[in-house]
Amino acid sequence: MSTSLIVPLHVAYIRALGNSKDELSYHLSAHLRMNAVYWGLTALFVMGHQDALDRDEMIDFVMSCWDEEAGAFGAHPDHDAHLLSTLSAVQILLMQNALNRVDIDRVVKCAGDAFGETDTRFLYCAVNALSLLGRLDELDVEKTVAYIRRCRNFDGGFGAVAGAESHAGQVCVCVATLAILDRLDEVDQPTLCWWLSERQLPNGGLNGRPEKLEDVCYSFWVLSALSILGKLTWIDSNKLETFILSAQDTESGGIADRPGDMPDVFHTVFGLAGLSLLGYPALVDLDPVYCMPASIIENLGLRKGWKALQRRTS
Amino acid sequence: MHNVKRNRQTPEALAEKKQREKSKIDEYLALTDDVLSRNKKQEWGDNAFELTQRLLQINPEFYTVWNYRRNILLNGIFPQSTPEQINNLLSSELSMTTTALKANPKVYWIWNHRRWCLENVPDGPERSGVPSMEWRQANWDKELFVAERMLDADARNFHAWNYRRYVLANMPTRRPETSELAYTSRKIGANFSNFSAWHQRSKTLVGLWESGQLDPIQSRDDEFELVSNALYTDPDDQSAWIYHRWLIGSGENKAQLEREIQLISELLQEQPDSKCERLRWLISQLLIILQGVWSHWSTISDFCSKIAPRIPKP
Repeated sequence: MSTSLIVPLHVAYIRALGNSKDELSYHLSAHLRMNAVYWGLTALFVMGHQDALDRDEMIDFVMSCWDEEAGAFGAHPDHDAHLLSTLSAVQILLMQNALNRVDIDRVVKCAGDAFGETDTRFLYCAVNALSLLGRLDELDVEKTVAYIRRCRNFDGGFGAVAGAESHAGQVCVCVATLAILDRLDEVDQPTLCWWLSERQLPNGGLNGRPEKLEDVCYSFWVLSALSILGKLTWIDSNKLETFILSAQDTESGGIADRPGDMPDVFHTVFGLAGLSLLGYPALVDLDPVYCMPASIIENLGLRKGWKALQRRTS
Repeated sequence: MHNVKRNRQTPEALAEKKQREKSKIDEYLALTDDVLSRNKKQEWGDNAFELTQRLLQINPEFYTVWNYRRNILLNGIFPQSTPEQINNLLSSELSMTTTALKANPKVYWIWNHRRWCLENVPDGPERSGVPSMEWRQANWDKELFVAERMLDADARNFHAWNYRRYVLANMPTRRPETSELAYTSRKIGANFSNFSAWHQRSKTLVGLWESGQLDPIQSRDDEFELVSNALYTDPDDQSAWIYHRWLIGSGENKAQLEREIQLISELLQEQPDSKCERLRWLISQLLIILQGVWSHWSTISDFCSKIAPRIPKP
């Protein structure tokens, strides 16, 4: 158990991720590889160690996932293009200052998964990517907002599709999408912030919806929504910090979904993102709307009115 | 990865595991290369079809291969099949995904494949030269059972709930919404903490109110009775409180408000101070409504002065 963040161990953990080619689980997750690279890079940025992974190798990997037919990025070479991997690709290239490698017009036209999904996660991917590429004018804003409105529920939260139950992950992406579009007026803020603050369990961790288990990744999904709505103080930050830190793997590095479980890069980045929003010392500011380094988003002129906790000096 | 316990292995045990996995990895990569290269060449034959099944059985999250499989059906197999053969093929696709879902109940790609299959069932068989829609009817009716079985196994599986809503909205002969209300009553009766069921109930009721099948005023009264049973059973359960807050709405119905204040006062009297945590926000919301709408009503100011000291300050 650790009561402080073991940065060097997590940096080493992320650097070692590409070395697992002798593990079956590495190959079975190829359909997530582009996302995993984005998670790893973002985690490194939050810890101030963005140079720990080779920049050229990373850019080459991203470009090797370009799906020429679809005009967008897949998760891995020869995998079909998808909005999830396309957003991650754009985010990685932006963080690596290599966006000039992308055929932006084609990405903008990207159709996503050919068999059609209207999950609000994918809406967020499209809006986020268009915003980062400076092409939000391509979007039918009213139609997008109208769809999100249909996904709003009796508890103030949002679901994956119209009619779906509120889930912190979907709340995060819907609130972030509305923030990008300057339409936070669509949120029933008091009710939703109550629902979000109810995600905290006695052990300090957050869950994703009522009666579910705590999980470190909700440190980001819930916190980002609360920080966009200016209500981060509605969560007990000390208890949450203690929970996240206790989920670190003190031998191999990395952060797990909860204490005692295997770490992975997904929970590592979202645990770190949560800690950054909570003002944990010596971490870099993260923009909760885009889940990217705040300075990069500010330089693009895209910063919205979110509020993190004051960064502590020790 | 979620819910995977950390497993500290000795270097020897780890080396042994890697040795065992090596042949599995080689096999998996060879199969992947084979399938993806055929996909690139747009091979729509039976061999490719069989290979996709093998690969998806090992890794049902390989979204590119689900896309490929559907393309093989659409471009290779269907054009050479009679409507009856297509129906049989899709029935066996549905069987295959049922098996996959039992082992992987939360994989989006499997649920998506199911929907695609349903949507492609032909209109036949023909009866006196007219499409009878019997194949569609039979397949869609079965789907409701599949959704119900999945919800019996896990009453909070939102994929299964989303799928249930999808089937109800799209099946050729629609079920009456009142029967869905009864389904939610059963699920709530089985477990008052089933937030997913309360959520479904909120959606079903709005539909019944808007279509005029239920009188909103009488219905709301019935709902208050239902939720107060839940609250008396477990005053700490957030599902019931969130539902209760929704029923109150903007508090325009004076009689309802009076009655609910009575209920909360009774519950508060029975609860030790520590339980006020759960009620804190709800009470403060009620106070806002009361002070705003009914501030001159003496019962309200009595209530406010009685309970106000018991509300912990945020």
